[in-house]
Amino acid sequence: MKEYSIQPGEAVGVVAAESIGEPSTQMLLRVFHSAGISSAVVTTGLPRILEIIDARKKPKSPIMHINLVKSIEKNYEKVRDIRKKVEEVKVSDLIKGFTENLKSGSMTLDLDREKMSLYEINARSVISKIEAYGTDTELVGDTLRVKVKKKEDLRSTRVSFVNIRALSVVGVPGILKAIVEQSEDGSFYITTVGSNIKDVLEIEGVDKERVFSNNIAEIMDAYGVEAARNVIARDLYSTIIAEGFNTSFRHLSLIADAMCFYGTVKGVGRHGVAGLKESVFARAAFEETVKHFVNAAIFSEKDELRGVAENILIGKQVPVGTGFVKLAVKKEDLKKIKNSDKARE
Amino acid sequence: MTEDKKENCRVYLNGKELTRVADGAAFAEEIRKNRRQGVLSGEVNVSFLKKLNEVHINTDKGRVRVPYIIVENGVSKFTPELRSKVANKEVDFNYLLRRGIIEYLDAEEEENILAAVEEKDIGPETTHMLVDPASVLGITMGVNVYPEHNQMGRHSISSNFMKQSQGLYAFNFGNRYDARAFLLYYPQTPLVTSVAFRTLNLKTHPNGQNFVVALATYYGNNMKDAVILNKAAVDRGLGRSIFYRTYSDEERRYPGGQKDKIRIPQPSTEGFLGEHAYSKLGDDGIIEKETLVEEGDVLIGKTSPPRFLEEQTTFGISEEKTRDNSVTLRMGEDGVIDNVLISETSGATKIVKVRVRHIAIPELGDKFASRHGQKGVVGLIVNQEDMPFTKDGIVPDLLLNPHSLPSRMTAGHMLEMLGVKAASLAGKPFDGTAFSSNGFDEMAKFGEILEGNGFDKFGDEELYDGRSGRKFRAKIFTGVVYYNRLYHMAITHMQVRSRGPVQILTRQPTEGKARGGGMRFGEMERDALVGNGASLLIKERMLDQSDKTMIWVCKNCGDIGYFNYIKNTPVCPSCGSNSLERVEISNAFKLLLYEIKSLHIKTNMKLKSE
Repeated sequence: MKEYSIQPGEAVGVVAAESIGEPSTQMLLRVFHSAGISSAVVTTGLPRILEIIDARKKPKSPIMHINLVKSIEKNYEKVRDIRKKVEEVKVSDLIKGFTENLKSGSMTLDLDREKMSLYEINARSVISKIEAYGTDTELVGDTLRVKVKKKEDLRSTRVSFVNIRALSVVGVPGILKAIVEQSEDGSFYITTVGSNIKDVLEIEGVDKERVFSNNIAEIMDAYGVEAARNVIARDLYSTIIAEGFNTSFRHLSLIADAMCFYGTVKGVGRHGVAGLKESVFARAAFEETVKHFVNAAIFSEKDELRGVAENILIGKQVPVGTGFVKLAVKKEDLKKIKNSDKARE
Repeated sequence: MTEDKKENCRVYLNGKELTRVADGAAFAEEIRKNRRQGVLSGEVNVSFLKKLNEVHINTDKGRVRVPYIIVENGVSKFTPELRSKVANKEVDFNYLLRRGIIEYLDAEEEENILAAVEEKDIGPETTHMLVDPASVLGITMGVNVYPEHNQMGRHSISSNFMKQSQGLYAFNFGNRYDARAFLLYYPQTPLVTSVAFRTLNLKTHPNGQNFVVALATYYGNNMKDAVILNKAAVDRGLGRSIFYRTYSDEERRYPGGQKDKIRIPQPSTEGFLGEHAYSKLGDDGIIEKETLVEEGDVLIGKTSPPRFLEEQTTFGISEEKTRDNSVTLRMGEDGVIDNVLISETSGATKIVKVRVRHIAIPELGDKFASRHGQKGVVGLIVNQEDMPFTKDGIVPDLLLNPHSLPSRMTAGHMLEMLGVKAASLAGKPFDGTAFSSNGFDEMAKFGEILEGNGFDKFGDEELYDGRSGRKFRAKIFTGVVYYNRLYHMAITHMQVRSRGPVQILTRQPTEGKARGGGMRFGEMERDALVGNGASLLIKERMLDQSDKTMIWVCKNCGDIGYFNYIKNTPVCPSCGSNSLERVEISNAFKLLLYEIKSLHIKTNMKLKSE
């Protein structure tokens, strides 16, 4: 155990940065080699790492991994039913085509019966959704006439038509696709394209303790910082491992800790970890030098010179590694003590 | 629709809209027809852009144009009949041009054509045919041999090397004062050449030599693209070249009637370099021809008026002060003064050019390259007796590591080795123009010649180790390759520094070879030391070996003070206190404090002893 513990004064931050930077540069070089073989839908490799490190609010390709309550986990029928509740079906998914008449404020939708039966949706539920938006509807055969109640200007009519077509009939908004998959132990789970933790948690049968998403901001909202921290560390690790590189998990754990240190997820950069450093010099050395000095003057800031960057700047020994240790008792002090001891005798 | 609405294809002449026509394609074809019949000049090029529905006619200068044989109705206009006429020199190229058999196309018109590479590729839609398959290549690539056997990327690399090679660049080199010039001692023409090479008559300006090359390793001294040279061959003049550098200076005029003066500076001159430095100058302040010069020697002695205007003294005209502005030989270089030119510029000022000659004998670190993008740096120069040799006593000039070949896929290099070997045995040069031959046929042809002269038909030879005298167990591929010496030589790149010049503002070491600079200790290097926790090493690099300064800091108010030598006490200018402490600090930080001060921000330093 002692062998594995980190020595005091070890520059863990720099080592962590280096051990994530090294595989990143390798990945960047390899992008050109694997060009054209982009089959995966999920962002992996360097783009994904940047996404996490920058703490982007929306990932490029959001993905969810929904586990179900243990009691129904192995029941395919039930899992399939939940899947239907998860996948979002929009009005535009159920029609063959449409015509708009903006002047009269009416729109006709050609309902696609085949698709509706595929999704097991009847026309009534579609109509009720559309009417809830505040319109009059009329069903003639397969064509659905929609008419806005209030006569508005053309622009807002058009906007409301677009909105009606984007209405979700069933499912969770934001989830474009849901697939039932089977894990090795025989239990079923749902993977989705698109992410919306908050609404998925409302669905009955979903195991609230085992819902995963690659949208860290959403996890932060739904589960809190600790969960977000764990996901950051885990996702960084799995991305690096998936690319065929190896890094100790502890480095990524440290980065995740640093990002979540302020209670919310902060990116590494001007507005995040680097911009919130204690030292004025360290911040000024990074970006926006003048701004930091001027603000420091306004608030009469004091730099304790405890970090690495500021000590290199002024030319002091850096408090890292061999420079970490200080003498607790100085030579002159020792003499004084001895003298006082003698005097006492 | 009305008539004019139909005419919606815009026609541009040299980029300006001229008119509109209905059918652009037919219009362009009409112009082409007239050009071929000689009604329009052959320098007119026209192209129809289908996507934009525009016709561009270009007649202006500066377009790169390529000749093509015209093909009509699936038949080349360059008939076998004409071909024989050309072969018998009854007609020439211009005749074909005039007759509309060959035409020049610019880049824009090329987009409209479907060109066949060879006669057999002609289809019903073909409009043109290449004059020669090799005509798709430019000058540097066209000069190279067997490019069709090499990997694509190697072509651009070898084209670049061609431009860097030393050779006989001009016949009047003795009269020229190029800023930098290289001249190969014994340039040779290659034994396998191409059509472009012969057409350009490059044999009068060769840029390389035929090296006997063996594909062998040599005790690890030619790993990673290093090459081994034969010392005896080098002594005989292999790869030897002259490096000319011209130093020039002129007597400039300054506002106020002052003028530079080319002369030996007086010892009273500001920045006088010492009596010794000027010892090689003639009475006129210019160095004599054929003088041996070393680093730091003055070539042209010159004095300039002081940078700032003098104050008028009360005694009238004082002695005119001057500063030294002489031209010295560059750091790390030596040589002999080749020639001196004294002339006058258009501004009627005296100009002096001094050309220094340095004999650059191949040494460790000099760069060589073949015509196939196979570059190498000399890793070792071996005595002839230690080099491998064949049973005939042939000792290679250069040993190339065989590992350089498979990954780069430069089969052309090996084909050239075989071809030049055969050519030197047959006593006549061979042709290696791109796409002109089949590699297997060439190999068979060379093999026959080699076997006829008692060599292995694949070019393999039994070699003996020069150091032990033992025969190598494997046969070693040996041949002759045309090698270029590139101008990246150890002498032009080598630099050392322990202490040296610093920048005035930051007091940090200067950058770059010409200024005797140091190696930059950058951010990533710093991070590496931080990661290792080597705190004192960082301090040494960033402070002690860089811009360390000592300043006085006031214990009372924390401002920067100074030492008053008259009163022998440090003084703080802002609070007048005399209790200051000497602090070691980087000059960059001192500058930063001053700069913050210029922003009207006061900084206080609180001192603490450790």
